[in-house]
Amino acid sequence: MNCREALEHLYEFLDQELTPELQKEVREHLEACSPCGEQFDHQDAFLKFLQARCRSKSAPPELKRRILHELFGE
Amino acid sequence: MSVPNSPAPADEKRASFEREALVHLDSLYRVALRLTGNSADADDLVQETILKAYRAWHQYQQGTNAKGWLLTILRHAFINEYRRRTRHPESVDIDAIEPFAVFDQGQDDDPQERFFDQIVDDEVLRAIDELPEQFREAVVLSDVEGMSYEEVSRILEVPIGTVKSRLFRGRRLLQAKLHDYAVDMGYIKGSRT
Repeated sequence: MNCREALEHLYEFLDQELTPELQKEVREHLEACSPCGEQFDHQDAFLKFLQARCRSKSAPPELKRRILHELFGE
Repeated sequence: MSVPNSPAPADEKRASFEREALVHLDSLYRVALRLTGNSADADDLVQETILKAYRAWHQYQQGTNAKGWLLTILRHAFINEYRRRTRHPESVDIDAIEPFAVFDQGQDDDPQERFFDQIVDDEVLRAIDELPEQFREAVVLSDVEGMSYEEVSRILEVPIGTVKSRLFRGRRLLQAKLHDYAVDMGYIKGSRT
């Protein structure tokens, strides 16, 4: 696998959406190619940052109460 | 003759709905907030989604993907009733969004760390809200809610290839926005030309 092919699979690799065979091919390329390895690391860090910052928000308690009241009269 | 201790159908419906649907309330709220852009409409959209889902609960096949089923209902409700008054779909020249290096090597001791440490949550959410809707939907479902390409594809009713393309461009656009913000705030040095 060359650099262009590896980069085409960048997000699919990080999202674990590749077949095991392709996942392995990309991983082998990254181990051998440090510029691609750095790009993948940066994107991986960005996605983890995004998830950490966005996944913590919860529905307001008042909304939960409102919904339970509408559904079950509570 | 009734069987003692057997739950009434209404109780069973309630129990299964609580167990399989209401546990996803936080996810529905997060997606609604990013779609509508304001908490009042997000509240109403989630409430409407839940009520519709409860009425249609007999159509849901228990033990399958309740979160995906609920998000599909939510998205349809948003498109039919909220989109027109909450946001105007932005036009964007998709081909103009080019990949670029967010973290220019050697410009700083550790630009990546400075970038991540200093950008506040509100700024991340604001940047997501500014994405064109088709990219925002894909980014929110995948990155915020952790759904697979297949699940996102079903909810958005587009092929998986389209999901990949929207995710790629949405993520790059988001990085560009956050990068510009970090430069403006002096967190990192500008490197884009």
